[in-house]
Amino acid sequence: MVVLNVPVERHRLSNGLRVNLSPDSTTPIVGVNLWYAVGSRNEGPGLTGLAHLFEHMMFQGSVNVPKNRHFELIESAGGSLNASTWFDRTNYYDTVPSHQLELALWLESDRMGWMIPAMTDEKLHNQQEVVKNERKERYDNQPYGDWDERILALVFPPSHPYHHPVIGSMEDIGGATLEDMAEFSRTFYVPNNAVLTLAGDFEPERTLGLVDRYFGEIPTGPPVPPLPGIVDIPPVMGTTVREEVVDDVPLPRVYLAARVPSFPSDGFQTARVAATVLGSGKASRLYRSLVRDKALAKDVLTYVFPLEVSASLLLLWVTGYPGEDPGRLERALLEEVEGLASVSQEELDRAVAMTETRLLREIQQVGERADLLSMFDQIFDDPARLNSEVERVRSVTRVQVEGFASEFLGPDNQALLTYVPGGAS
Amino acid sequence: MSVPVLSFPDRSVAPRPGTVRPFEFPPVVSSSIPNGLGLKVARMNRLPLVTVSVVLNAGEALLPDATGGLAVLTGQALEGGSNRLTGPELAEALEDIGTGLSVHTGWDSTTISLTCLAERMEEAVALLAEDLLQPAFPPKEVSRFRNQRLAAIHQRRMDPGSLAEDAAAHFFFSDHVPYHRPLAGTAESVGGMGPEEVRAFANTHFRPAGAGLVVVGDVEVSEVEELARSYFGDWNGAPAVGGGFEAAPRFRERRILVVDRPGSVQSEIRIGQVGVPRSTPHFFPLQLFNTVLGGAFTSRLMLNLREEQGFTYGIRSRFAFRRSAGPFHVSTAVATEVTAPAVSHALAEVEGLIEGGPTQQEVERARDFIVGVFPLHLETTGQVAARIGELLVYDLPDDFFATYRDQIRSVQLQDVLRAGQEVLRPREMVIVVVGEADAIRGPLEELGVGPVEVVLPQDLVGGPAGTVPSEDLHGGPAEAGSPPPVP
Repeated sequence: MVVLNVPVERHRLSNGLRVNLSPDSTTPIVGVNLWYAVGSRNEGPGLTGLAHLFEHMMFQGSVNVPKNRHFELIESAGGSLNASTWFDRTNYYDTVPSHQLELALWLESDRMGWMIPAMTDEKLHNQQEVVKNERKERYDNQPYGDWDERILALVFPPSHPYHHPVIGSMEDIGGATLEDMAEFSRTFYVPNNAVLTLAGDFEPERTLGLVDRYFGEIPTGPPVPPLPGIVDIPPVMGTTVREEVVDDVPLPRVYLAARVPSFPSDGFQTARVAATVLGSGKASRLYRSLVRDKALAKDVLTYVFPLEVSASLLLLWVTGYPGEDPGRLERALLEEVEGLASVSQEELDRAVAMTETRLLREIQQVGERADLLSMFDQIFDDPARLNSEVERVRSVTRVQVEGFASEFLGPDNQALLTYVPGGAS
Repeated sequence: MSVPVLSFPDRSVAPRPGTVRPFEFPPVVSSSIPNGLGLKVARMNRLPLVTVSVVLNAGEALLPDATGGLAVLTGQALEGGSNRLTGPELAEALEDIGTGLSVHTGWDSTTISLTCLAERMEEAVALLAEDLLQPAFPPKEVSRFRNQRLAAIHQRRMDPGSLAEDAAAHFFFSDHVPYHRPLAGTAESVGGMGPEEVRAFANTHFRPAGAGLVVVGDVEVSEVEELARSYFGDWNGAPAVGGGFEAAPRFRERRILVVDRPGSVQSEIRIGQVGVPRSTPHFFPLQLFNTVLGGAFTSRLMLNLREEQGFTYGIRSRFAFRRSAGPFHVSTAVATEVTAPAVSHALAEVEGLIEGGPTQQEVERARDFIVGVFPLHLETTGQVAARIGELLVYDLPDDFFATYRDQIRSVQLQDVLRAGQEVLRPREMVIVVVGEADAIRGPLEELGVGPVEVVLPQDLVGGPAGTVPSEDLHGGPAEAGSPPPVP
């Protein structure tokens, strides 16, 4: 058993920007990580995909940084950079040699505070084409590519901000305007809606001065508006919902999704432990039963989305062999889900051991460490929560997991999506 | 907490870098035990973790087409447990201590690794050794693994990216070269495999002489030597050695092969040819060449096809370095309607860099990039163990990574130019496009870069599609490197 003690110093600039400093001089590099509390959940009707398209525009230059210059500067400094957009947040992350930290602060602050005047129709059009291709590559040209779009639509009602996928619709991606971008920036890309975390090789006091120097003059924005749509939904769906898709896919596949407690709520860790017992690792129940013993499934996968608003989503998926009856796959899957009414302490201990190693492996990298600290700050207002994460998993009991299974994994809370090979496109 | 307010910066200029802090690749300590098993240990002790890998001279390149995929299947079949522990018991024993085996089989080696808490290392190594030295290969499990492989092969056929990779390998390499087939074999070669074949492969190739035990993390060298003797000391024998081969190309003239995939809204494009072996004297110049062409976000291919044309979400180039010459290729996915212009732009970039070479500024940037990101990819015990494994597989000196950045810094523009021109043959580039043939064939023919032939995915399985020679010029080189990040 290992006690985590990732150091973290918290600060807040006068404009509201939250700053976390986590020094570690093992390797002369620094992870620079920014979480903006904005994602696809903040998109109104007709604007799906806007948060992600905006993320692309963030790499198109700002007032003091011409197009492509951001990438050039970071790469020739020997750094790496990227960003990702999700339901609840958009994160930007650079890892740079420690002597180039100031460069990353300059670039990140310039696009936080000085981006709108640098946006042009030409840049927007270019990135709309790039994002449309991203959608084609990941969704439209890919077997099962639209699964998450379908699952979200089954689990969350049309009025809920998680109803649509992060990528958005082709139509909305193509329809976004420069004014939409500017409005989005003014509303959400403000210091009071962001967390900046630095992890790695730097001297905290001097670095805090640098952070203030680069970000301090960015004005506080107005309070962030409430989410569009209706976020208040029942904790379970109330019924089983199903969809069958006959498509050009190689193998039959069944997805089972359930509404489960949201990331910030107490029940979330229980959901995670339940999912681990069910289908994470080769000793898990689904692997052992469906893949190994019955040899019905080629593979299984489980995942719990850490969603912040009203509910999260637990996902199981099972891929069958060619010619396998999807009904048989589904029955075998549901049998294991029902079996979760009884779990052993050994299974929970195993889940703890796996979580512990996985977390330690993740925090070996400054970028991951910074990202986790930003996440715990944004969602829990407590970056140091990272250090007690394993303890929280350890505190989950058999009674809780069994109770979770009966409350959240029964027929009144199942979305079943089946892909059947056979589409002639 | 409040913060002292300093003066605001002049935002119009990029800040100057501070003082460079030194970085050293963790020193590699080598030794061996009497059965010929090599030990390589590197210490990284920031966190109480250890990665343990056994690197075996048991790659797919040892096998003829008829048994292609047997090394992959045998590696996977280790999941079936040992003579003492069943598969589920082994999985539980490993996961109880927070770890699991991961087996990676490539053309040149099979690597079995795990990462665990340092305090669990001995238990984990004992389990790994037991599984590797006394594998059970139960018939029921082996047939499951075979069926999983067959299903995965079926999936690859319908996944446009995987199909393009397999088609490119097939059309780049002659039938006599193992690299022409998919790494994990074909339905024909895998279909007949059972416990006998798997056991025979393990018996022949899972042997200690020439193999290596790599341990990286919070560990002492003496501990590793003791563990090696205790758990691997009774292992013996030398693996069968495979003959090297010349990685000959299938074609000597440029051509376009369209793999028809009706209904595609994008085309998966691969442009390339047979590259060079890992032992090439141009290894370091090619790192720079590839970075300039398609190995970074600011590479020529990305700036043109993504940031200027908006044809794609991403495009990259890569040299796959293997014991014999692996492929060089450019890869991207583009909207169906811009397939021909995308091929044309990509080819022009490839040819342009081969013929004209990089600019001095590009060389300097590429050097700074490669040297700077080097430590970024060496943060984890797993990353460092993988690099050290390469020392064993490609017979490199222990200080190879310690001197890597100096080698990169010493590459000059002329070296990059020469490497591209000596290694790549623009007139022999093969272009493979997986997409809607009806929509893209005509525009590709109009490009006039080479003859266009349409083939079906099923034509790739057994043997080569019939192809006619053609003529044309152009070409394209590329280099080795990491994929560009894509926001």
